[in-house]
Amino acid sequence: MAKAIKIALAGEGGQGVQSVAQIIAEAANEEGREALYIPNFGVEQRGGVSVAFLQIGEEQIGSPKFQTADIVVALSDRAVRRTRQYVDGNTTFVYDSSIEGVEKDIPQNAGRILAIPAVETSRTELHPRVFNIIIMGAVIKATNVVSEDQARAAIEKKLGYKFEQNPKLRELNFKAITRGMELVEKAQ
Amino acid sequence: MSEKPIQGEKRVFMTGNEVVAWAALAAKADIMYGYPITPQNEIMHYWTRMAPKFGRKFLQTEDELSAGFTTLGGVLSGRKAFTATAGPGNTLMQEPLSMAEMMRIPSVVVIQQRGGPSTATVIYSQQEVTMTTFGGNGEGFRIVYSTSSHQELFDYTIKAFNTAWKYRFPTFVLADGYQAKMRESLSIYDPEEKGIELVKPEAAIGKPAVDGKKEPVHVRNTYNTEEELLAVLTGYMEDYQKCAPEIIEYQEFDCDDADVVVVSHGVVSRAAKGAVQELRKEGLKAGFFRPVTLRPFPADQLRSVADKTKTLLFVESAFGQMAKLAKEGIFGSTVNVDTLFKPGVGITSEEIVAKVKGLL
Repeated sequence: MAKAIKIALAGEGGQGVQSVAQIIAEAANEEGREALYIPNFGVEQRGGVSVAFLQIGEEQIGSPKFQTADIVVALSDRAVRRTRQYVDGNTTFVYDSSIEGVEKDIPQNAGRILAIPAVETSRTELHPRVFNIIIMGAVIKATNVVSEDQARAAIEKKLGYKFEQNPKLRELNFKAITRGMELVEKAQ
Repeated sequence: MSEKPIQGEKRVFMTGNEVVAWAALAAKADIMYGYPITPQNEIMHYWTRMAPKFGRKFLQTEDELSAGFTTLGGVLSGRKAFTATAGPGNTLMQEPLSMAEMMRIPSVVVIQQRGGPSTATVIYSQQEVTMTTFGGNGEGFRIVYSTSSHQELFDYTIKAFNTAWKYRFPTFVLADGYQAKMRESLSIYDPEEKGIELVKPEAAIGKPAVDGKKEPVHVRNTYNTEEELLAVLTGYMEDYQKCAPEIIEYQEFDCDDADVVVVSHGVVSRAAKGAVQELRKEGLKAGFFRPVTLRPFPADQLRSVADKTKTLLFVESAFGQMAKLAKEGIFGSTVNVDTLFKPGVGITSEEIVAKVKGLL
């Protein structure tokens, strides 16, 4: 039996890492797989780095947190420094290419390092609001934990009521997933 | 009367705090009394959101002392009442729970353990074992279930009400910050549809007159002669020891030929289970033992494991609070004992595998 895939997502408050982790976890659950998602919940989150720990597998997940991840996504300079500890030789480390001043902090021991222009893509091509959905697409592409269709279904479930009022939002969100997947494909 | 909160059985994906609120609804709890504290806040949040739809009630008190005492008041007046807390809230709740022990008031308390010693550390830990099993001035006349998954959180919260009312000892569901905050899948169900009979609460005081006569009720919390206190407590101890074998629950596997048996409880037992399975796959002789009830503790069961293995490895997110209960339970055994104690952090199966390999 394959081991569970371990994912750590980290960013600043408001970047939406927790909702990304939750949507992916729910998508995996809908597919009948075992998923476990837990946010960090110390008082540091009042102005600290927000970290989401997500595991997806075929059997009940063991410990809720883990020592090293299969994929780490860091979306700010502080997030890069905070999540270095979860990286080993099997980890894919994904970070946003717009983050400045972290050249020395990128964990060089990672198996793969991918810089993706998610912030820029959300600003120039789509909308800053769907930044986290781009990240969601990137995670899905880098891990294959859920299918693109299932990810769309999970977003529909979560935001369907908003899409009813404004169908353009649906298009924007779905495009963001596709673009996120493409960014990883290109960076690989 | 409102309809049932859960029809049939359904697979859901939610946080542990939400699970507890659903379980209390399913167990036909009438009212929750509580005071907010991380990481159990959302039990109250979900309860207050759902309870009114089903004719249930909620009272926020001024602190945990009050939440504990009002819960007992609710029970005395015939309501299926419960509360939930964590950390320093658990500390404050020891006073009302001590009274509940003396007055034999059935009460259900859900604890989401957090780190300590501290009044302000809100992160995960397993450091409320000693306090939950033996807190308060008294003798630990209580029942403590340590859950490890959302399914157990649901099952044992329902069970706790039945246990508390059946044996009339305060009953705790002991989880932790991880179980409170994480999301995973489980099945929720209506217990009665599954054939689980739910106890019906009965008022201890304020009962109506029978044949025009009202019998006085005296639920005592105060004893003024030493001899009387001894007599009452001796009776309680006999009651407790008599019902303990019916209450004790534990899990074990692969212990018969094991060189090392990993002993853990609660959320850490998930990692221990995975570790033992992995070690067995490699042909290494590891075993698994997990007390589900920390009080009463499955002492005889652990002793028979200790008698046939070489080493017991105690693993917990604390400096040996479960281990203390275990070691007392197997007093006199000559088994080797080793430990993996990490208060404040979770323990992974990889760490346990590495530790066991070092012992083999």
